[in-house]
Amino acid sequence: MSSISKGRKGGRAVALLLLFAACAGLMVLAVGVGSVAIPARDVADILRCRLTGEPLPAHIAELTASILMKIRLPRVLLAFLCGASLSAAGAVMQSVLRNPLASGYTLGVSSGASLGAACVLLLGMRLPVFPGATLPAAGFGFGLLTVLLAMALSARFDPSLRSDTIVLTGMVISLLASAALSMVSALHKESLEALYFWQMGSFGGATMEENAILAAVLALALPCVLRFHREMDILTFGDELAGTSGFSPKRVRRALILLATLMTGTAVSFCGTIGFVDLIMPHLARKLFGARHSALLLASAMLGGAFMVLADLLARTALSPRELPVGAVTALVGAPFFLIVYFGRRRGEARR
Amino acid sequence: MDIQNVFAGYGARDVLRGVSFSLQAGENLAILGPNGCGKTTLLRVLAGLLPFRGEVRIGGRNLASLSPLALASQVGMMSQSTQAAFDYTVREVVRMGRYRLRRGGLFGGGDPQGEAAVERAMEAVALAELADRPVSALSGGQQQRVFLARVLAQEPAVILLDEPTNHLDLKNQIELMEYLRAYTASGEHRVIGVFHDLTLAPMLCRQALFMKDGVALAKGPFGEIATPAFLREIYGVDVRAHLSRALEALPGEEIE
Repeated sequence: MSSISKGRKGGRAVALLLLFAACAGLMVLAVGVGSVAIPARDVADILRCRLTGEPLPAHIAELTASILMKIRLPRVLLAFLCGASLSAAGAVMQSVLRNPLASGYTLGVSSGASLGAACVLLLGMRLPVFPGATLPAAGFGFGLLTVLLAMALSARFDPSLRSDTIVLTGMVISLLASAALSMVSALHKESLEALYFWQMGSFGGATMEENAILAAVLALALPCVLRFHREMDILTFGDELAGTSGFSPKRVRRALILLATLMTGTAVSFCGTIGFVDLIMPHLARKLFGARHSALLLASAMLGGAFMVLADLLARTALSPRELPVGAVTALVGAPFFLIVYFGRRRGEARR
Repeated sequence: MDIQNVFAGYGARDVLRGVSFSLQAGENLAILGPNGCGKTTLLRVLAGLLPFRGEVRIGGRNLASLSPLALASQVGMMSQSTQAAFDYTVREVVRMGRYRLRRGGLFGGGDPQGEAAVERAMEAVALAELADRPVSALSGGQQQRVFLARVLAQEPAVILLDEPTNHLDLKNQIELMEYLRAYTASGEHRVIGVFHDLTLAPMLCRQALFMKDGVALAKGPFGEIATPAFLREIYGVDVRAHLSRALEALPGEEIE
C-alpha cells in the first residue's frame, strides 16, 4: 500500500492543497457542461464580472451568465458541499464504530433524515424564525433520531455493542425508514415527484440559500470534528485502548456522532438519500493519504465533493434532456468500486 | 498503590467481592488465579475502565477522582490483543501513546521530544526497522510488541498487562518479558500483569497476588506463598507435579 508522501513532513498538507486546487478546477469545468456549453475561460470571466460588478465581455450573452449563476453554479456547488459533508461524516462514523462498512447511509441517518425532511415538506411546516432552515433542522432531527434508535436497539440485542451489530441494526432501520417514505409517497400521489427526489437524490433546483446553509454547517462542524483527529485515530483500536489513553471514549464518541449526524442530516435534507459516497470515499482517501484522521477527514471531504460533482454531471448529461437520479448513479459507480476496494484490501491481507 | 475493599462487576453481578491489597513503590505484581476469579476485572478497575465501589489510591491520589488525562499519566494498558480496523503504520500507533501530552501539529512535527520518545519505544522492542510498515502486515508477536511500544511511549507510572503473552510463541513470550524487565529495572516504572502461565510470571514479578472467587487470597513474594499445597487449593491440581511431568516428556539434559 502506498500513501502519498508518507515520509516527508508537510507532504500531506501539500497533497491536500493540490487536491483542493483539482476540486476547484473540476467545478469550473462542471459548471460549463450542459445544454448550453460554457468554456472554462468564459466561466472565469462571468464569475469575475459578477463578483466585481463589471459589465460582461461582449461575446458572452446575458442569458448564458444567468444560466451559470442561477442554475449551474448553485447546483455544482451544492453537489460538492453535499458530497463533502456526507463523506467527511462517513469517515467519522467509520472511526467511531471501528468499521469500514459504517456510514451515514448504512446507519440509517440518511434515510431517516430524508423521511423527516419529506414529512415536514408535505405537512407544510416551517420554522417561524428562519424558514430556510426548516428542512435541514428536520433532516438533522430525524437523522439523529434514527441513529439513536439504531444504537439503542443494538445495545439491547448485544450489550457488548459490537460494531457489526450496530451496522446491521442501522441497515434494518434504514430499510424501515425507506419503506415509510415509500408509504408516505403512496398516500400523497400529488407530491409523488417531490418525494421521489428524496428517495433517489437530486441536485436539480439547488439554490444559493441552500448552499449558504450547508456551507455554514460544514464550516462549523468540520473544524470541530478535526479537533478530535487524535481521538478518532485512537478510537479505531477500541474502547479499552482509548479509555487508558487519556480521554473518555464515550463522551468523544457521542460528540462525534452528533457532529457527523449534523453534517449528514443537513446535506440529505437538500439532496435526498444518496448512498455509497460516504462509504467509498473515506476508503479511497485512506488509500491515498494513510489512515490518520488529520489528513483523512479533509481528503474524504474533497474526494467526496469531487465524486458527487462528477456523479451529478453524469446524471444530468448521460441521457440529456432526461435526468437520472444521482443516487442511482453513485450506486452504479459505487457498488463495483466498493467491491474492488473492500475485497482488494482483504485479498492483499490474505497474501501477506 | 493501595486497594481497599473493592467491589466491581458487570450489570448487577459483582465479580470482585471485596479485594484489598497494597503494593510498595517499584514493585512488579503478577495477578494469578483460575478462570473467572476476577483477575481481568481487577485490572480493568485499576485501568479506570470499570466503575467500582471501595477505594483505589495510586501515587497517593484517589483513582476515581482522576481526570482521564491524569489517569493516563498514572496507568497505561496493554490488552490481550488489540484489533486494528484500519491500516495505521507502526510509528503512527506508537505515537498514539503520546496522546496524553497533547503536543504536535495537525500534520505531524512540532514535538521533537515526543518523536524521540516514540523512536526510543520502538527501539526498546526492536521495531525501529518496521516503523513505516502497516501494523496489519506484521506477525502476531510483532503486533503485540507494537502495542507494548505504544504503552511505553505513554510513559505511565504503572503499565497494566492483560495476559500479554497470549497468542505468542515461546520465544516471543520470553522476549516480551525481557523487554518489560529491562523497562522496570530502574524502579521508576512498574508493571502489574494478569498471567495464566505460572512459569512466566516470576520472570518479571517478584510479588504475586493469588485470587479466587472474586477475593484476593494471598499476596507476597512468589517464593514464600506459591507452595504446592497453596497452588493445589487455588487451581485444584498439583501444579509442580504437572510441570515436572511436562519437563520429563521433553528429551534433554538433566537440569541440576
